[in-house]
Amino acid sequence: MDHFFLLFWHACLVSLFFAFLWRTERRERVQLFLKTFLLMVVGGVLAGWLMYPFP
Amino acid sequence: MIKKSQKKPEESSDKSVQSVAPALLGVSWLVPGLGHLLLGKKVRAAVFFGVIAAGFVTGVLLDGEVGVPRADNPFSWLSTIACAGNGFLYLVRLIWLNGLGGLLSNLPFGLEGGGDPVSAGFGYGKTFLITAGLMNLLAVLDVSDISRGAKS
Repeated sequence: MDHFFLLFWHACLVSLFFAFLWRTERRERVQLFLKTFLLMVVGGVLAGWLMYPFP
Repeated sequence: MIKKSQKKPEESSDKSVQSVAPALLGVSWLVPGLGHLLLGKKVRAAVFFGVIAAGFVTGVLLDGEVGVPRADNPFSWLSTIACAGNGFLYLVRLIWLNGLGGLLSNLPFGLEGGGDPVSAGFGYGKTFLITAGLMNLLAVLDVSDISRGAKS
């Protein structure tokens, strides 16, 4: 089981859902998808590194 | 004194608020995306069904446990409500695990939620199951907004 793949897959599903829930235009949907997707993936990896020193 | 042309905003918005058929909300919950399909939002319906079904199946494949109420854990009701948001997917999973007779006879605290707590994917799987259910509940609220005319 690849933890990063699960993070990637989860972010992909949630971002796609909210892009279609909150936006109606194609361009706006793509923008929101990319924004939320990158925030979740990069934020998740960053949070993981920040927690790395803790037991 | 208020002139005729100066209506209060809440007065004008009250007229646009319409009642929502409970059956529409019911089918929206039962089958993800069906409410949007009935309202003519075909693309949104297909995406919502695909995303929610994919999230649910991923959760089950990762050995996640669907939320079932536990007598000794009041917080289990929260995960139950979230997972129940998956509609027929949740019901089919419960019948798969408990059988139809077991499902009816073991309500509410004797139900089996499946999953394997020892499995590495248990926590992740439960996260996927809960997320999928909450997304469908948001989709139901979206159907309510669209049918009331509050959203296109």
